[in-house]
Amino acid sequence: MTLAASDSEVAIDVRGISKEFRSVVAVDDVSLTIPRGEVFGLVGPDGAGKSTLIRMLTTVLLPTSGDAFVFGKSVLSEAHEVKPRIGYMSQQFSLYGDLTVAENLNFFAELRGVPRADLAARTKRLLEFSGLTEFAKRQAQFLSGGMKQKLALAATLISEPDLLFLDEPTTGVDPVSRREFWRIISDLHRQGITVFVATPYMDEADRCNEIAFMTQGRIILRDTPAGMKRRVPGRVIEVAVRDFRAAMPVVRSLPFVTSVEVSGELLRVLVEACSEEQECERELTDALDEAGFPVEYLRPASTDLEMAFATLIPSAGGLVGTADEQILAVPE
Amino acid sequence: MSWRRIRFLIWKEFTQIRRDRAMIPLILLMPVIQLVLFGYVVGSDVRNLRLAVLDNDHSQQSERVVQAFTSSGYFTLVARPTSEAGVKQVMDGSQAVIAIEIPQGFSDAIKARQPEQIGVIIDGSDSRTGQVAAGYAQGVIANLSGEFYALPSAVPGAAPTPLGIDSRIRVLYNPTLRAVNTMIPALLAFVLLMSTQNLMSQAIVKERERGTLEQLFVTPIGRSDYLLGKLIPYIGIAVVQVTVTFLVGVLWFQVPFRGSLLLLFSGLMLFMLSALGLGMIVSLLSRTRQQAQQTSMFLQMPSMMLSGFMFPVEAFPRWLYLLTFLIPLRYILVIVRSNFLKGSPFWALWPQFVAMALFSVGIFFLGLSRFHKRLAD
Amino acid sequence: MRRVLAIARKEFLHITRDRRLLGVILVMPLIQLFLYSYALSFDVKHLPTAALDLDHTQQSRMYINALEQSNYFTVNRVLDNYSEVDDVFESNTDRVVVVVGRGFGRDSSGGGAGEVQVLVDGSDANSAQLAQTYAGALSRLYGANIVIQQYEAKGFNTSAIGGLSANVRTWYNPEGKSASYFVPGLIVVLVTMVTVLQTANTLVREKENGTYEQLIVSPIRRIELMVGKIAPWALIGALDIIIISLIGILVFRIPFRGSVVLLALASLLYVICTLGLGLIVSARASSVDTANQLAALVSFLPTFMLSGFIFPLSSLPIALQALSYLYPARYFMVCTRTIFLKGGGMSVLWPQIAALTIFAVLITVLAASIYRERA
Repeated sequence: MTLAASDSEVAIDVRGISKEFRSVVAVDDVSLTIPRGEVFGLVGPDGAGKSTLIRMLTTVLLPTSGDAFVFGKSVLSEAHEVKPRIGYMSQQFSLYGDLTVAENLNFFAELRGVPRADLAARTKRLLEFSGLTEFAKRQAQFLSGGMKQKLALAATLISEPDLLFLDEPTTGVDPVSRREFWRIISDLHRQGITVFVATPYMDEADRCNEIAFMTQGRIILRDTPAGMKRRVPGRVIEVAVRDFRAAMPVVRSLPFVTSVEVSGELLRVLVEACSEEQECERELTDALDEAGFPVEYLRPASTDLEMAFATLIPSAGGLVGTADEQILAVPE
Repeated sequence: MSWRRIRFLIWKEFTQIRRDRAMIPLILLMPVIQLVLFGYVVGSDVRNLRLAVLDNDHSQQSERVVQAFTSSGYFTLVARPTSEAGVKQVMDGSQAVIAIEIPQGFSDAIKARQPEQIGVIIDGSDSRTGQVAAGYAQGVIANLSGEFYALPSAVPGAAPTPLGIDSRIRVLYNPTLRAVNTMIPALLAFVLLMSTQNLMSQAIVKERERGTLEQLFVTPIGRSDYLLGKLIPYIGIAVVQVTVTFLVGVLWFQVPFRGSLLLLFSGLMLFMLSALGLGMIVSLLSRTRQQAQQTSMFLQMPSMMLSGFMFPVEAFPRWLYLLTFLIPLRYILVIVRSNFLKGSPFWALWPQFVAMALFSVGIFFLGLSRFHKRLAD
Repeated sequence: MRRVLAIARKEFLHITRDRRLLGVILVMPLIQLFLYSYALSFDVKHLPTAALDLDHTQQSRMYINALEQSNYFTVNRVLDNYSEVDDVFESNTDRVVVVVGRGFGRDSSGGGAGEVQVLVDGSDANSAQLAQTYAGALSRLYGANIVIQQYEAKGFNTSAIGGLSANVRTWYNPEGKSASYFVPGLIVVLVTMVTVLQTANTLVREKENGTYEQLIVSPIRRIELMVGKIAPWALIGALDIIIISLIGILVFRIPFRGSVVLLALASLLYVICTLGLGLIVSARASSVDTANQLAALVSFLPTFMLSGFIFPLSSLPIALQALSYLYPARYFMVCTRTIFLKGGGMSVLWPQIAALTIFAVLITVLAASIYRERA
């Protein structure tokens, strides 16, 4: 993991990459630059093209057009120089079920040429790291979902790559394991490893240095999580009301309300164009009271990424998401 | 049992087959390859046997011998070694499968009306060919005997007497002994066996591997629906394959068909039950598709070898001979061959039908009950 | 090299953890071996025969007796008239009907020729052909004896009759033991059946598992992957061959006249060919089903038919003969038969060994180049 003279500050440089499958365009002319050492989150719904993009960057898929450079090497023509420096954890479990935890780690270590002298130490450390030490002799197929994911992560880490690609690594994993997972990722970040993670979870996106929204094969927006939230026009009011679900249509119908979502038992209402202090609050309370939904209390809240995603993405006639907001080039 | 659900399951099966892009060409390719193999390889008669001649006499008569062999249509002269060592080399290297040795003094013996012998050496490492070659050779030599040693008539002045027996050998139903005529009918049964058994067991095991088996059971689909939905598509495929094979056999290979289609159809359908049952049994024994395929192959081999297809059953040792009665293929082969070539009517074939029905239905229900039970767990 | 070993070791683990498959692979061939070697022979004896004696003389009865004595024919029933013949054949009760013509006794003892008709059921070409040959041979022999009797009766000098006969010797397998014939052939067929399928599955299974992508992302080279995947199965295939050979030699007492080293060499080359073939199937098959079917198609029947196992290659139409040259099984078959039964060495077998080597190399290289490094 040494910095060679030719290493740039840029970990990934994607230039107009596209992938077509018969008639479906999965990735549509994406360009992106990701600096070294960053935890970068790719956020988007199912079918947005996240996995396809990642698979092209990891040299698994051949782009239909365009190219990408990982640490300065092209995935098209210099794939063999890319592979040794990256690790890839795919969406589905991609380890050998009938091999034990230890055997799986061993296999990938040998495959990637981990020096024999280091092997034992690294294996031990990784097993401890992921809490799998006592399961070393168990066949991978008999691990729980969370443990499988941790094992998969450990397998990618055994060769100490400079860049890690994680495709929805915590899908189907329990919340405790999820937290542990991200603890591991921040550890990696501290070590200077670049992490490129695709996730549908907004709370995970929050933990990244920078995120990009992707939908229908295109990267729509790119910013830090805080920056994204700031882009959302208006502010958020949390409303506590009984029968909150039934109350939602009432709230939505109000002209100054942009969107409503449920959080626990509260309604989070995004409002804008409120002329005075508390005007929206008052109108909200009145409307709900009139409709037979007495408001228990209101309070201000902060925007979250979920809301940001929901409001910023539908670009047609939307407040943001126009051409000049599409940051596709080097952020310099 | 709901027909709507069954129809749905059938549709699902067909869709899955269709989506696997390589399956369809495979399904069509299988019978074609088998046709070629069975029609041209198995169906070819033993001829062009490679012959080596060691002529120690170099006479007109010995040349006549060589000529008789080569013009018989059975032999192709490939070598004329000049010594016994030469013969050995030719045989060792498998250049020839049969060698004849004409001894020195051959023509002299003939002129003196002394009995004489021609040495015939056959390659026993390929005993089938060797045996056939020996038979042909003996035939040629016998004819030559009559030619060289024409007997004076027992009644002076009359024409030479033929040897004391005039035996005419007639081959019925297949006078030219064209092997294709017996192999293509057999192939119909084979295509049915291999196709049905393989595809069925693969399909079932695949669902088990994928875990979709359990998913299906939380739906209102009952076990019988599931089974029918699984069986029917593969039956359909098998029927198509058999029909294609039949047409190619009759039209391209010109195998005569003198029997009744109804008989053929009912026989094959009965036989198919046994193949389906076997497919189910295999799928029960296997956890992965690889295991199922391997097991299927190993079960089909004895069927091929022991059913009378390649080796005459009468030649088996007693214990094996009795065992062959358990193989459904044995019966269907008789039925199919008789139907094609003899036009045997149903009443003539009833023992085979009964036996096959017993076994087929037996195997089918054995497989079914085990399968049903397994599904229930 | 480390990578090759890593792959090989992984494959070994997979194999040992799949007990059922291992069981099938090791046990099934043995069962087949025993079954066929004990059971099969090409000698057709005891052909079920029906006799129709239209003459009812002492001579006709003697003839029918002679048939029975020969062991080739078993006279099961005696028919009364000609119309029964059709029934016999249609209902497959007997394969052969011998009709002794009226006047047989009179003609044969009176210096003429007794008339005999031998009707053979052609719907089973195998036995029909042999029945034809036997019947012909028997009749000739019997006839020859009768002629000698006639001449003696007439007082002719029988020593002046002469006659040409064949002196048949069988080389390499004089006892005509069927096992000697089958075991070398079965080695080829059984090993093929066991090997092709396994490698056919191996790459496709990685695809279905998802581990395929991990392999792509790793720095392993294609040829390393191929070699690593072939190695464990090559060992198992070799093991199978050794077991079958040992059983053949020790239990069935078939001869082994050639060199063990040569057999080992030929076996290794052949196994590489079959495994490589499986890899080629596996590299392009889109699903395990396809791989399985394709592998079965390519290994089972063609090996049976185009290797010279049972059906002599010389009788094939030219096109198929040419095709059989592309089939490594053909060469290996010659090797096993020659090594076991003929004792031939390199001097005799070098064409086959050369062919096998070329195939082994070609196939492995082809498999490596077909394997797509990207999904």
